Amino acid sequence: MALLYVLPALLPYTLFAVLPALHTAYLSLFDWDGVTLPSFTGLDNYRRVATDPQLRAAAWHAGALIVFFSVLPIALGLVSAALVARRSGRRGTSLIRTLLFLPQVVPLVAVAVIWRWVYAEDGTLNQALRAIGLGRLTDAWLGSFTWALPAVGLIGTWVVAGLCMVLFLSGTQRIDQEIYEAARMDGAGPLREFWSVTVPLLRPEMAVALSITVIAALSSFDLIYITTGGGPGNTTVVPGILIYRLAFGGGAVGLAGALAVVLTAVISVAVVVINRLAKDPS
Amino acid sequence: MRHLPAPPSRRMFLAAAAGSSLLVACGSSLTPGAKSSAAAGSSAVSTTVPTDKITLVVADADDTTMTPGLLAAFRAKYPNITFKRQYTGWDDYLKSINTTMSADSAPDIAQFVSGMNNLVKGHLLLDVGGYGKAYGWADKFPGLDQITLSGDGKTAGTGALYGVPGGLSFEGVYYNKAKVKQLGLTVPPATVAELEDLFARAKAAGETALVAGNLDGGLNHPFNVLLSVYMKPQDREAWAFGRKGATITGPEAVTAATTLKRWVDKGYVTPKVNGTSDNDATAAFAKGQGVFRISGNWAAAAVAKGLGDDAGLFSMPPTTEGGPLRTTGAGVYYCVSSRSKNAAAAAAFLDFCATRQAAAVTAEAGFMAPDATSMPQQSGLLGDVRTGWQWIVKDSGLQPFIQNASTPTMPDTLTTQLQLLAGGKITVEKFLAALQADFDQFHS
Repeated sequence: MALLYVLPALLPYTLFAVLPALHTAYLSLFDWDGVTLPSFTGLDNYRRVATDPQLRAAAWHAGALIVFFSVLPIALGLVSAALVARRSGRRGTSLIRTLLFLPQVVPLVAVAVIWRWVYAEDGTLNQALRAIGLGRLTDAWLGSFTWALPAVGLIGTWVVAGLCMVLFLSGTQRIDQEIYEAARMDGAGPLREFWSVTVPLLRPEMAVALSITVIAALSSFDLIYITTGGGPGNTTVVPGILIYRLAFGGGAVGLAGALAVVLTAVISVAVVVINRLAKDPS
Repeated sequence: MRHLPAPPSRRMFLAAAAGSSLLVACGSSLTPGAKSSAAAGSSAVSTTVPTDKITLVVADADDTTMTPGLLAAFRAKYPNITFKRQYTGWDDYLKSINTTMSADSAPDIAQFVSGMNNLVKGHLLLDVGGYGKAYGWADKFPGLDQITLSGDGKTAGTGALYGVPGGLSFEGVYYNKAKVKQLGLTVPPATVAELEDLFARAKAAGETALVAGNLDGGLNHPFNVLLSVYMKPQDREAWAFGRKGATITGPEAVTAATTLKRWVDKGYVTPKVNGTSDNDATAAFAKGQGVFRISGNWAAAAVAKGLGDDAGLFSMPPTTEGGPLRTTGAGVYYCVSSRSKNAAAAAAFLDFCATRQAAAVTAEAGFMAPDATSMPQQSGLLGDVRTGWQWIVKDSGLQPFIQNASTPTMPDTLTTQLQLLAGGKITVEKFLAALQADFDQFHS
């Protein structure tokens, strides 16, 4: 009977998520070009995943993206949540929330196209720099070997920051105002309040935000595919881009499958670790 | 009324049963490649166009008016044949067409793109050589070698014929007539050295000499053209077609790559070229930025619209004055699925592409017609393009893009390596060695 209740959700999930995932894992054991008969190669593809220098570079880039997708947005979210939480009257909060959440509503492909214009040689960012007399700092950001990765990362920050802020804002509304009052009576300044009240009490929200953003960072694909395609050179290549290239252009479906399985495993471990840490009360 | 939950063992059994029956249902699709047949089916070849009611499914990534125009023109001639067109954007088409062609519901006719050579090994493309002989395609179409493939699909220019070009494209040098006049430059230059001299003078006058965008690897246009100019045609084709033992590391290729690097280093090319996309470069040139742009005839419509009477085009000059003209080009090729039940009708459409009626549609869309002489007269930029094409066909100077047929990973490798080269991160020798490494890995 219980099974019957979950069936409407379970069936499509099994059909369209679980089975294809298992199929990918199965294909990762073959050398297959996507068309002709494959040959079974066992764990050979996994050996290549572990040794290929390009794959290792992609892993480093994904790691760097965690800074932009997780660390920065959570820091920004905490600070702004603290500022709003301290305000006595809460008028305007819902307007702020709507504005901050906007990037989440826009499809990522559209976001990427917009930011391509922002970062272009004569794009908005360079125009702004020239307008304030910093014309010598301008660059074609997405084509720069130094700046392409941070530039793409900051798009992620822009997208995710709003989500984190909204999460933390709703979290602060749960915090009893009396705790802040008590802290103030004990002579706590805004900084002390932030570290001793807001941050510890937002722990569950931080765990959720961290899980979502780390997944977004490690599995990022669309933003990078549209903005740089992995370039210039290989400076913004991430695992998602490589999986796509290998499977659909390069005729190496098995290797792409192996990489996808490894990526999924890494993300799962990361999420489990985050949730463990969040539960630890000390 | 509440039922007691079934004991866990039974629930697990049910779930397992459901799961395994699903697995059985998907059984055939779990065996990848099961649908590729072991041997090519052969059918009787006929040049008689069928007269019964037929619907042909056509898959393509042609964003011009050519493919729909050709289909409409063919249908006007043979009203019993209807088409169902499945258009997909270029990037998505590249990545999905192999799956589409492997499906039971494969389209009858498909635009042939690089990567589809894999389908040859699986016998999913129809060998149209028989039709070709019956219709006499060798005399009607240029560029058939680009879609003649070996049995393993890895080498072009040898083996069986798999299709024909509906329209062809080639690279030329666009120029801004107003700027050229204002700077006192004489066009067309007779040699590559003279072209570089024009670049130098444009640059000295504060202009961007060669407008380019390499965010998505657009420097491959000048690079391919320089390879066409400098390399011996047979060497260049051997490499582009993926012949065993071919190399791109010899002195001629080094000269081509060094020339491109020098153009970047001397500031002739759009500054920060790695941060500009190829489309944006065309748009900028059409808006009046820069003096020259090396690109294909597919950009002609946009350039003509932007620059109007100031738009011009000349052929890429050879190394020595009066030498044969050579350039890089490709085509929109149509191939036929080996599963098509209406191969004769599909072949009739392929043959139709060489007719005078088809040439009008092809030219209208900005492509070069297989029969260069039957293209209608045009004025302005399109007239320049037509003349350029006729010169190239006369000199048999059309050569394939090196990234299209050499290896399936070459488009990505070339883009990456061109960005490294333009960014000053690698030497010319390392650049060419990286291309060769990709080639050797696939063809070893």
